Amino acid sequence: MTERDLKSSNMAKAKALPVGHYRGLGVWNFFFMVFLYAPIAVLIFYSFNANRMVINWTGFGVEWYIKAFNNEDIQDAVWNSLIVAFVATGVATTIATIGALILARGGNFKGKTASLGLMMLPLMVPEIVTAVAVLIFFATIGLNWGLGNVIIAHITFCIPFAFMPIRARLEGMDTTMEQAARDLYASEWETFRYITVPMLMPGIVAGAMLSFVISLDDFIITLMVGGAGSTTLPVYIYSMIRRGLTPEINAVSTLLLLFSVAIVTAYWFVSKKSNTKTVH
Amino acid sequence: MPAASIDVRGVSKIYNPGSQQPVKALDTVSLSIADNEFFTLLGPSGCGKTTLLRLIAGFEQVSGGEILLFGEEIAHLQPSQRSVNTVFQHYALFPHMSVAENVGFGLERLKKPKDEVVSTVKRMLSLVKMDHLADRRPSQLSGGQQQRVALARALAPSPKVLLLDEPLSALDLKLRQTMREELKQLQRETGITFVFVTHDQDEALAMSDRIAVMSEGHIQQIGSPTEIYEHPVNQFVADFIGDSNFLDGEIIAIEDDIVTCKIGSESVFEAENSGNHAVGDQVTLFLRPEKISLTHSTDESTDNHRRGKVSNIVYLGNEAAYTVDMGDGISLMAQARPKEDGNLPFAIDDDIAVGYSNRALRVLAK
Ligand SMILES: Nc1ncnc2c1ncn2[C@@H]1O[C@H](COP(=O)(O)OP(=O)(O)OP(=O)(O)O)[C@@H](O)[C@H]1O
Ligand SMILES: [Mg+2]
Repeated sequence: MTERDLKSSNMAKAKALPVGHYRGLGVWNFFFMVFLYAPIAVLIFYSFNANRMVINWTGFGVEWYIKAFNNEDIQDAVWNSLIVAFVATGVATTIATIGALILARGGNFKGKTASLGLMMLPLMVPEIVTAVAVLIFFATIGLNWGLGNVIIAHITFCIPFAFMPIRARLEGMDTTMEQAARDLYASEWETFRYITVPMLMPGIVAGAMLSFVISLDDFIITLMVGGAGSTTLPVYIYSMIRRGLTPEINAVSTLLLLFSVAIVTAYWFVSKKSNTKTVH
Repeated sequence: MPAASIDVRGVSKIYNPGSQQPVKALDTVSLSIADNEFFTLLGPSGCGKTTLLRLIAGFEQVSGGEILLFGEEIAHLQPSQRSVNTVFQHYALFPHMSVAENVGFGLERLKKPKDEVVSTVKRMLSLVKMDHLADRRPSQLSGGQQQRVALARALAPSPKVLLLDEPLSALDLKLRQTMREELKQLQRETGITFVFVTHDQDEALAMSDRIAVMSEGHIQQIGSPTEIYEHPVNQFVADFIGDSNFLDGEIIAIEDDIVTCKIGSESVFEAENSGNHAVGDQVTLFLRPEKISLTHSTDESTDNHRRGKVSNIVYLGNEAAYTVDMGDGISLMAQARPKEDGNLPFAIDDDIAVGYSNRALRVLAK
């Protein structure tokens, strides 16, 4: 595809014209998809290899899955991952919800813009910086709670991810509904409970799912902060690779992938449901 | 005389006081609304109608003055403590609740017994002819249906006063006209005081017991629809309600109940004396187009006969609006019905007789 083609297809998009008829776009699309998904496809493919070689196909088998399921270290890692993800998601989503409510409904207070910026800043900070910072912080205050340390670190970086969809949802909600409730004799608490929370729920659920996936997949921070006994699944997979590649890694990775995809799909459905209004 | 249902006493509202750009939305507004009255706040966009409604509902605090609800000062009361309900401009139905749950919301917050909630919701929904759609979500309703649900929801807790902020503005013309009648009937049946906000003069004239015409945070005139239409106190009111001809001039003579004015360079018009005028006053005369009779030859039944030339015609179906050039830089708008065969009685450039009675031409103070 030439540069001119690319330009004109961009222009076409700006005018919302169909771009499908531009020659070469399909090919472009194909290579893009291959680039994105080929490694993952290979990974999944070899997880079903009956051989202990990672790149030598000899036949179909699920023995690596069975092996992975029976591996106690993997079981522990999965448990750690789930505990961390659930607790971190719960706490982060709660904090993010309260923060978003204060920013959207707290009127104009001093430092509002700064608060918003600080809430989103962790998204820009390189993960390794956060990891080192948290590690040094824990060392300085002498905090040594094992998995607890990991959970605290996860809460920190999950907050902005939970915050984004909740805030987006709040932005789209004006205060008229709440006023209507107040007008109909609801106390402030009843208004919050019966109007604000239910209307905010799609945002909260989306934020929770997002932070769950982020927490589940996190590697760098967990590797730095987590000590022995607080190994999560991504960290364990990494240590397996260092001991040598076996299709067991493929199997575990595939399962992790499946789980993440399931959550992202659920997230997609939740946000889609809350966006579509039934047309009369 | 019983206590007024709502007493607004010298109320001012300034948004963003102390900021760079304070907005004076209401300036010492006073009005008194009687019990069971259908009272309309009418005025152009931005004149402060919604602001006044929100002050009564309790969503905003007054910057000055006081509001009394059945004789009681309400400044310190939360919206939930005022027995006033609002029908919001865009209905503000709770999207996550069914129609019935929406209507029952106020009753449940008032801790009414369950069976009473159920029966009241039923009654309200049948009152607005929505009983068959009780289980729908608001998003599954048409605009007119949402409107009815919003009405039922606001009426269900039997408020003493119902505030309606341009409730019909989102509906199409036909539906708007039906809803006008229904609203008026609903008000008569329930006996609740309605405070209705609109910028549609037809709506105001058709439904109200009394109208307050507002402009830029001030009340211009309060009166019955006929008072407002027939005896506007100033040019703003006359211009805002209905069509008008305005003639600027100077009073040259006053004799009993007739005022004589000089308009343009040499034309003389006689008008009804509304008092308080003196010779030499600069005034505006005002004449409704429908008070002018257009004929081919002079109509002897009118007090004043003039001649003019048709300069423009706008066909409106049931009638035609004529602009008649009276010479001396004066032109008058008037109306005429099409003839039985559907043809218009006059054509452009026709020389026609223009007649009106003295009482139809009124003097507005400058
Ligand atoms: N929350 C607010 N903050 C600042 N200014 C406001 C606010 N609400 C209204 N105003 C201003 O106050 C004035 C009156 O507004 P209001 O909403 O009462 O007008 P309205 O008569 O209801 O107009 P419309 O017919 O367009 O609804 C306007 O100039 C408006 O810009
Ligand atoms: Mg308004």
